Amino acid sequence: MISQSIAITKPAGGYIKPVRRVLSPDDLNKWIGSLSYTQVVDFVEQLSLAVKGKENDAPCNVSESVNQILHILDKVGDIIELHPVIQDKETSRFGKIEFRDFYDEITLKSNDLLLGISDLGPLIDSTQDPRIELCVYFNESWGNRTRIDYGSGHELNFICFLLCLKNLNILNLDWDATAIVLKIFIKYLSVMRILQKKYWLEPAGSHGVWGLDDYHFLPFLFGASQLSLHKHLKPKSIHDKDYIEMFENKYMYFHCIAFINDVKTASLRWHSPMLDDISGVKTWKKVAEGMVKMYKGEVLNRLPIIQHFFFGNIIKAPEGVSKNRVTKYDYESDHKNRLPGGHIHTWGDCCGIKIPSAIAASEMLKKKEGHRIPFD
Amino acid sequence: MLDLDICIELLKECKCIPEADVQEICFKAQELLMEEGNVQLVDTPVVICGDIHGQLHDLLTLFRAGGDCPDSKYLFLGDFVDRGFYSLESFLLLLCYKVRYPDRIALVRGNHESRQITQVYGFYDECLRKYGSANVWRYCCEVFDYLSLGALVGNSSGGVFCVHGGLSPDIESIKQIKLIDRKKEVPHEGAMCDLLWSDPDDVPGWAISPRGAGFLFGKMEVDKFLHENNISLIARAHQLVMEGYKEWFDGGLVTVWSAPNYCYRCGNVAAVLKIDDNLNREYKIFEATIQDANAIPSKKPVTDYFL
Ligand SMILES: [Mn+2]
Repeated sequence: MISQSIAITKPAGGYIKPVRRVLSPDDLNKWIGSLSYTQVVDFVEQLSLAVKGKENDAPCNVSESVNQILHILDKVGDIIELHPVIQDKETSRFGKIEFRDFYDEITLKSNDLLLGISDLGPLIDSTQDPRIELCVYFNESWGNRTRIDYGSGHELNFICFLLCLKNLNILNLDWDATAIVLKIFIKYLSVMRILQKKYWLEPAGSHGVWGLDDYHFLPFLFGASQLSLHKHLKPKSIHDKDYIEMFENKYMYFHCIAFINDVKTASLRWHSPMLDDISGVKTWKKVAEGMVKMYKGEVLNRLPIIQHFFFGNIIKAPEGVSKNRVTKYDYESDHKNRLPGGHIHTWGDCCGIKIPSAIAASEMLKKKEGHRIPFD
Repeated sequence: MLDLDICIELLKECKCIPEADVQEICFKAQELLMEEGNVQLVDTPVVICGDIHGQLHDLLTLFRAGGDCPDSKYLFLGDFVDRGFYSLESFLLLLCYKVRYPDRIALVRGNHESRQITQVYGFYDECLRKYGSANVWRYCCEVFDYLSLGALVGNSSGGVFCVHGGLSPDIESIKQIKLIDRKKEVPHEGAMCDLLWSDPDDVPGWAISPRGAGFLFGKMEVDKFLHENNISLIARAHQLVMEGYKEWFDGGLVTVWSAPNYCYRCGNVAAVLKIDDNLNREYKIFEATIQDANAIPSKKPVTDYFL
């Protein structure tokens, strides 16, 4: 296959465990002007371009690496199967706590799962193994363990997992771009749909009815591009039940509309005024262009989202941003803080900081941290 | 001249009211709230309500379940805004009642009554879309700063302490709450923040909250607080409960949630808690209103991104 002889591109200085670096409005400005920001935007735009006018099952080149990533996503699906929701247990809660068991198993196994990408080679000394960076983006892709929620920030992590693989030269946009969206992203989306429905994931940081969608952004962005050459379908077609039924498996945008109609009561105009507004745009081409602007404006340029974004040596922190401050929530899976039911384990010195108790830790972190915007 | 009765009728029909009227309502409400203590004393009988989150139609159902204002007395525990379609109308309706019948309705601040949070969770977007500018949002935020932090229902011993979120490790007695300088944006830490952000949980003592603000507190802390303050119950909101309400810790604390089918999707019922003159509790459950698809508000031009 095309990709098999390609050596991965190693960043100078090896690999580091990614950390959060954008903590203040000042940092955010630096992020928006940074090379990493441009890389993310370019990546998303190129992927969008690669599916212009293409249906979900349009023929495309599927490289060995793409196949291996698809296989990993299958395994994630298998792990979900291992953690059924036990009915009638804690019915008062919206999010199902079994999600945490799923999440723990993913983080426990992610290193091994990523062994499935053969170009990454065997596990080696951590500073030479890109998996130390990849795992963080991969683990963050499924939602938040403690809060049992999911939002466009988690979706961004999955895209950045793929961006890392591109930067490492394991994925190549020249021949993988279409498959990254139509194969990998669509499969990721289907895994996320299972997680969202099965564990009743709460929408993370959503603008409520005033946002685009409770969970996702990119299927709308890619989806509008898919439709941008369509002769008959118009943005307003999303209000037509027959069209939705006919096209939900052909175009991501229609899948998303069908999903919303399925989970929400009342009409789209009530619970999704933003999508309703967008349906008034004349052409899908305009929608597709607007989606890129909106992705920047509502996701990449937003501190509440980017304050949780990780930077390592593959996706580098912008110059001059705040120093890394490790907090309890940076690697919650490492600390196995089980909430609720059972007390919170203090995490000793596992981040190199001695901490006497949970409260002391929180007090200390509060002093050190640049006050992240909390989750409602 | 501002006619509150007309405003109330318009708001009940989900109609926008002129910006100048919004300003006046907010100003008048502010003047009233300014005079209230951090912890308001509220007589029985009273109907205690949890999160509303802009679900105006469900708020109207709530008033049917609990009895019209001013016939029934109400205590709202915050989170009037964000997420739903009609945050502005819901909040203004409550403010109109407050100005019209000051002694028949009490409003306590929730963590969403904050500049920072409303910019993330929808209320800001809503005001911008409905009025084309952020002025109305600013007037409301000014009011937020004057909302009280809690309430004490029933003057006699064994009363009910009401708050949006929960307890704070910095607060042992209700008296201490009275010392807080509350007239400001909700801080990121400290007693005022905790009262609006904390949650009960099965933990010994205090624990870190996954929200990133406030704390988790357990039975021990609740028992201590009840004893110390000679009260029988902590009534709070802040967390979705599928059954509308949930009692914790042998009935020492209750979560009351008043937004049915939250975000048009959660499938939960809602509840209000009636406390009578003998401090007995009676929960009233209500379900989501079926939305009339025809009664859709006027369309605004699409957002700038798509022009
Ligand atoms: Mn709340």
